[in-house]
Amino acid sequence: MGNSSSKPRGQVTEQDKAILDLKLQRDRLHRYQRQITVLTDKETDVARQMLAKGDKRRALLALRRKKYQETLLSQTDAQLAQLEQLTSKVEFAQIQKDVVFGLQQGTKVLTQIHAEMGGIEQVEKLMGETADAIAYQQEISDMLGGKLTAQDDEEVDEELEALEREMAGGDKTVDELPSVPDANLPEREREQQAAREAQAQAQKQEQPLAA
Amino acid sequence: MSTAIQTEAGDTFPFPKDYSFPAFFTRQPNLQTHHAQLEKWSALVLAYARHHRLFRLSPTHPVFHNKKLDRRFAEPDARELLEHMRKDGRVEWVGNEVFVYWRKPEDWARKLEKWVEDTAQKGHVLTLYEITEGEATLGTEFHGMDGEVLLKALNHLVKRGRAQIFGQDDSLGVKFF
Repeated sequence: MGNSSSKPRGQVTEQDKAILDLKLQRDRLHRYQRQITVLTDKETDVARQMLAKGDKRRALLALRRKKYQETLLSQTDAQLAQLEQLTSKVEFAQIQKDVVFGLQQGTKVLTQIHAEMGGIEQVEKLMGETADAIAYQQEISDMLGGKLTAQDDEEVDEELEALEREMAGGDKTVDELPSVPDANLPEREREQQAAREAQAQAQKQEQPLAA
Repeated sequence: MSTAIQTEAGDTFPFPKDYSFPAFFTRQPNLQTHHAQLEKWSALVLAYARHHRLFRLSPTHPVFHNKKLDRRFAEPDARELLEHMRKDGRVEWVGNEVFVYWRKPEDWARKLEKWVEDTAQKGHVLTLYEITEGEATLGTEFHGMDGEVLLKALNHLVKRGRAQIFGQDDSLGVKFF
């Protein structure tokens, strides 16, 4: 409910009470119809019994009563429809009220925000200033950008080439490693002379050490 | 209303085996046996009431009388049983009868709340008659439910701030939030 936003939650309004009254009236008619339906069924039974007994006059009377009750029934039907129509109209009007309330609120907020923005001229001016600032920034970027490229283009190209070489010649780098020296170091030779017998083993150990 | 339902579907309810056991209708003197007897009767009464959608029951209800066996669970014994069930929150005395809660009012309240939610009737005003007898609730479980049990269920919603009941005593309405 639109007006419930300003009132505490769970408030029964006058409109609600009016709707309840309408619906209670409808319930009463509903009950009445049920009652009449029972009656008409009974009258039909009575008429059948009377006819079986040969009492045509009473059978006719019962059927007349039934006919009358049926007209009542159709009248209540019309009333019921009217009541239901009215109820739904009231409910719809409530919703409409909510919608109007919502629109009102929305418009209020919108105007408030517009006021905070300071009107169209203000926005135009601001947009102009923004464009100027962007253009100025562009100019600065161009200037700086131009200088930087002149200085660094070569270096960048070199770096690119180095990278390309590295990627293309991945295996070559292994070949370019210095080879393991074959010759024994002078101190080692003295050691070898001291331990001639273990020369073969010593050499095997020393070679990886030298590498 | 309740009598019509009893006769209409009275024989379709599948009674448990115990129901054709004569001793089942005699109050058991042994405390333990008596307790077991009460538990069985309690389950039977709840199942029976659920089956027939009975909301009220008296200690002289036909369910306590097995015509085939010509045995009767005597009224004082039935009263004792109902009192036993009351302690479990399964029935509530109203004069000489009880409300049988095969579904407790708070569970009814939840069902109602869900229905109101599902049918987008929040903020709407409904009459209590409309809820139990109206066309809108045809096919729902609370169609044809006892008015007073409904009121109890609604009061649960009121307590939780989900509904408000207003109007006169015999013409109440409820608004859901």
